[in-house]
Amino acid sequence: MSITLDQVTKRYQGATVVNDVSLDIGDGEFFVLLGPSGGGKTTLLRAVAGLTGVDHGRISLHGRDVTHVAARERGVGLVFQNYALFRHMTVADNIEFALRVRRMRAAARRARRKELLRLVSLEGLDDRLPAQLSGGQQQRVAVARALAHKPEVLLLDEPFGALDAKIREELRRTIRQVQRELGITTVLVTHDQEEAFALADRIGIMNLGRLLEMGRPDDLYARPATRFVATFLGAANLLLARQSARGLSFGSDPVVVPHVESGVHVREHEVVAVLRPEEIELAPSREALSTAYMADGAVDEILFSGALERLRVRLGDGAAGAHVVRSESGSDPPYLEVTRSQHEQRVFPLVPGQEVALGVRRLHVLPTPLSSFMVCAPNEEIARQLGGESLLNELATRMKTRIAVQVEPSLGSAALIGSAPSLAAASPGIALSPGAASSLRSASLPGSVPSLAEADGDEGLAFGGAAVIASRPGALRSVEWLLNRGAEKVFVLPPSAPSPRRVLIHWVDESARRATLAVSASLLRHVSAEAVYVGILPQGGALNAQRPLGMRALLDARSEAQAVHGLDMRTELRFGDVARELALRLAESPDQLLILGITDVAELDKRFASLLDEPRWPILIVYEPGERTRAAEPARTADLIRFA
Amino acid sequence: MPAQRFHQPSVLPGFGLTFGFTTFFLSALVLLPLAALALMAGSMHWADFVRVVLSPRALGSYRLSFGASSLAASINLVFGFVIAWTLVRYEFPGHKAVDALIDMPFALPTAVSGIALTSVFAANGWIGRYFALLGVQVAYTWIGVTVALTLIGMPFMVRTLQPAIAEVQRDLEDAAETLGAGRLYVFRHIVLPTVLPAMLTGFTLAFARAVGEYGSVIFIAGNLPMKTEITPLLIVIHLQEFDYSGAAALGSVMLVISFVVLLTINLIHSWGRRRLVATAH
Repeated sequence: MSITLDQVTKRYQGATVVNDVSLDIGDGEFFVLLGPSGGGKTTLLRAVAGLTGVDHGRISLHGRDVTHVAARERGVGLVFQNYALFRHMTVADNIEFALRVRRMRAAARRARRKELLRLVSLEGLDDRLPAQLSGGQQQRVAVARALAHKPEVLLLDEPFGALDAKIREELRRTIRQVQRELGITTVLVTHDQEEAFALADRIGIMNLGRLLEMGRPDDLYARPATRFVATFLGAANLLLARQSARGLSFGSDPVVVPHVESGVHVREHEVVAVLRPEEIELAPSREALSTAYMADGAVDEILFSGALERLRVRLGDGAAGAHVVRSESGSDPPYLEVTRSQHEQRVFPLVPGQEVALGVRRLHVLPTPLSSFMVCAPNEEIARQLGGESLLNELATRMKTRIAVQVEPSLGSAALIGSAPSLAAASPGIALSPGAASSLRSASLPGSVPSLAEADGDEGLAFGGAAVIASRPGALRSVEWLLNRGAEKVFVLPPSAPSPRRVLIHWVDESARRATLAVSASLLRHVSAEAVYVGILPQGGALNAQRPLGMRALLDARSEAQAVHGLDMRTELRFGDVARELALRLAESPDQLLILGITDVAELDKRFASLLDEPRWPILIVYEPGERTRAAEPARTADLIRFA
Repeated sequence: MPAQRFHQPSVLPGFGLTFGFTTFFLSALVLLPLAALALMAGSMHWADFVRVVLSPRALGSYRLSFGASSLAASINLVFGFVIAWTLVRYEFPGHKAVDALIDMPFALPTAVSGIALTSVFAANGWIGRYFALLGVQVAYTWIGVTVALTLIGMPFMVRTLQPAIAEVQRDLEDAAETLGAGRLYVFRHIVLPTVLPAMLTGFTLAFARAVGEYGSVIFIAGNLPMKTEITPLLIVIHLQEFDYSGAAALGSVMLVISFVVLLTINLIHSWGRRRLVATAH
């Protein structure tokens, strides 16, 4: 490996700019770090160059640990966005700078300079001053200068940023050629996806200091794993959908779009689907579609842009509840973006206002377990308060998802607080009678949300994404109530919780590991926080015997997080009572969040009553019913059917 | 002189008006008073002129005035650079206050600075007592004069250097570092060439100001003839004795020496710039 980064972290004034980035870049590879500005990519590049120290982690170049090696001894070449040429020196002096520093003889310097000028096609410009060159030429000089000392790694920081489109393309080709010719490992930082596609062998996408995903350009485009990558790499329509064994359905529409990736989960659940604008087919009627019918719609707007026609299509009534996520606000009416080729335009010309049938050529389901949030509160006031929480809105905005609201009076009832969780169905206080069902109302927040009872017909309460409840006395009962009714993720949110700087992760049982890690990875992609897995072993005489076991669990957790989710996390091992140790760890600083994985609802009351009664920290509970509890599931479902 | 060389066409109109103003102001405020000075000195008898101008006391005062001024400007060259560098490159608590402090010598009446410096550097002053322990007397010696002139010239140096240092992009140093250059190499080959013109300008300003300084120096100098008497003071002494032509004679000598020094620096300056451009062709 040419460049190996291991958990590289960099903080500036408490803010984590580069967050646990691990990365291997192979010999001769052209790697592009892509992301929005402020995503941490330039900081990471500077860290590789040695111009910025790191707070944590290791950097190796060709197997040599250079974490604490000065920039001038790292043997890298760096090219800056603003060229950074020495203005008082000629092109020749600029290029020979590194050779002069190394006290190379004049004749050898000259030969090397000529060779480099040929490489970047600037022969004959040796004696010019940088001010006498065009931007493109200056950047070529900068590339030649960075290569003079035969570095093992070439780093380019937005090298085309200051150039206009045509020169940019020319220089891009030159850099690709030079890179191929020299076979030099290259890392390029850019915010321009077109540039990334044109140059990269592999792309790594960074946002909020994290390396979210990496892979071949075509792979990342076709099969993104995160909402961010789906929308950052090209245009994408994100839709909330319900996935079942048969396929996907959108909104309250009974239409099911067959989906090859279906069948993994038998139980119906909410997912986020990615529909590329070019994968949508428009036809005059459902019958005329050559692909799977998805919904009806009406053309809202048509923009011609050269080779492609861009359309905005408003979804028809049924599918409108699908909540198309287009913009940051999340409250737009349900529009889909569609692009059509010249050929398609000729076959089926369209005018604004025209009714069309939409078909799907291909869609991709994101493997994200946090599809949306559903605020659950006993009355509208609490619901409104909770729905306005800054942390929740920050998460929803970054995840480009919605916050639905569910007013559920039973959540506040005295009977619920007093009742044992397993008695929920039988207890008269929360009688699951048709009367109670009618009291389930959906309130007004972004998008029209079908009420739980309506939306899920006879399949029981399928919670979309994570249920969110307020941290109040008795929150534990609410959590139990929700988990017993099909919620898999419950987010207990104290008032005005800050955006977390650290996310603690713990699961009670190893069988909850997979689900907890998936949720953790999904959450951590959207907050700028460090992840810490807290392993806790009981204190006792067997301490020494257990230690290897505990370490093993930590290592397993870390490697699974890394391998399956691309999530890098720290690990720590503590000894003592689980709830007590977690509370102690949380008490260390206010801006923390806990993700707790459980396999048995009854455990909550037994072991976490103190932690969950009125937590001061946001706690996200991930419920992964274990084998034992799964067996009991039919009974629960039966209750719910009665209730519906 | 051909007309087109004299009048370069410009986007802004009004060359005639502005050039007229320039000539008028320079004449009224600089050239005419200087001519009056020369005239007054010229009214002396030649032998008298030589006697006043080359008297041992006058020679001693030239040595002190120009010697201490160049020394002070040189000290400012180094420490002014350090101060300007610190202010441009680092962010620290009280940054604004320190920046404002630089201008204090501009704003204070120079006599006040002189008194303040004297009290601090006198043998029993806060700083002077430690120098006294080392057997060095600061106040009432040429060292004191240099200290006062350094203080007076410092803002000129710092204010001239600040924009120049701000122009040295950190990227340039970073680039040099990745190319293998050590700190000293970067400073010598990247930073210094970029700020050198500004340093020369700052030196010129600080030097010119120091040569003409009077108020702050007379308090700390002690004013012993031949030892710690600066030329401006000697001129004032002549004036107090109603020897106007003698004062004018000394003044015209100062004028000539200053002019020669400043012209030399300016020539070096433009030579450096021309050399830079010349390498391009």
